[in-house]
Amino acid sequence: MIEEIRTIVAGLLDELDAVVALRRSGEGVAPHLFQKGDDLSELEIAPRYPLMTLVSRLHKRFPAIRLGVVARGCDERAYIEMAKRNQIDPDRLSIIGFACTAEEAQECYCARPYPQQLLVGTPPPPGPVNPIVAEYDALPLAERRAFWRRHFARCIKCYGCRNICPECFCEACAMEDAVWVEPGLLAPPFPTFHLIRAMHMASRCVACRECEHACPAHIPLTVLYDLMRRDMEALLGYVPGADIAAPPPLSVTLEETPLRVARGH
Amino acid sequence: MDVEFEPRIVAFMCNWCTYAGADNAGVARLQSPANVLPIRVMCSGRVSPEMVMRVFRAGADGVLVMGCHLGDCHYASGNHRTAKRVPLLKNLLSYVGINPERLELHWVSGSEGPRFVEVTRAFTEKIRQLGPLAQEVAE
Repeated sequence: MIEEIRTIVAGLLDELDAVVALRRSGEGVAPHLFQKGDDLSELEIAPRYPLMTLVSRLHKRFPAIRLGVVARGCDERAYIEMAKRNQIDPDRLSIIGFACTAEEAQECYCARPYPQQLLVGTPPPPGPVNPIVAEYDALPLAERRAFWRRHFARCIKCYGCRNICPECFCEACAMEDAVWVEPGLLAPPFPTFHLIRAMHMASRCVACRECEHACPAHIPLTVLYDLMRRDMEALLGYVPGADIAAPPPLSVTLEETPLRVARGH
Repeated sequence: MDVEFEPRIVAFMCNWCTYAGADNAGVARLQSPANVLPIRVMCSGRVSPEMVMRVFRAGADGVLVMGCHLGDCHYASGNHRTAKRVPLLKNLLSYVGINPERLELHWVSGSEGPRFVEVTRAFTEKIRQLGPLAQEVAE
């Protein structure tokens, strides 16, 4: 599979300015801007890394640059939500999509472990729903509080969840504003800090799991975001990352994206 | 000795409809609960989730978001955003174990003084039954 991707990238480098992908670097792997003449045998596809953040930065910094990017399903979903919010220019991006392995899909609880623009690989079966999410509605309020109090108490407020997130691109962040989050408290006050992010992620979170992966305190953040994703679909019929033509539902009128019957939680 | 619990309620009211509605109630000498602290905003769509969470954290036991009826928004569709945002926020509160009944959204127009009183009275009574938020969260 990786050889196929390297061949495609080699071909694309004739017409594009550069391709964003991962590259073997010493003992590890790091994002790299491949240009014509670079050694493509160093191109890697694992581990997962949200490359769309870099694409967005390059598009903003270099207004004419035409890029390619080697992308998984979650990368492409991130791209879709970023493009409709003017963070990436679709006309200046080619996606070299590849399918994740069945094991990766399992690990990520991924419902769609392959991109729409699938060039390499075959779609694996989707991963399961996170068992905590599947059983969440049965939990009484007090147990939910206990669950999150326990997890949020470990937060060291490193902002890693926000920094890694491809959809966290605001220039001024509410989580850094002393009006909303009191400075000087560790762990941050329960539950404001994390709720701000969870609410801002509604309509944006594409379930790439990078936040949870990055969290040094192992807070199961995606449980909260998966529940919000479920509500977005139930309330507004919106699946983030599914359709580039669908407008961001919270920014448009009820005529454009109507509210469906609220579920009772 | 137990002192009877008096709920603290913050009501975000839009400048164009609900704030005028509250004024309408006052002019008509209709008694609305003194538990309600009004905060005037230019539009119910201005009420961000951060604002709601901040007033909860600052000691509110219940939060009301009130604005123009759908179709009457001074900014055409500001309240459409509110209509979508509040149900999501209620669900999110419930996911971290805060009773979502502590947050309500109501449309009250400038001429609906009696309705303003009805909504604030009913909500105050509901929060009185639910008890202090601090106690719930400390459990």
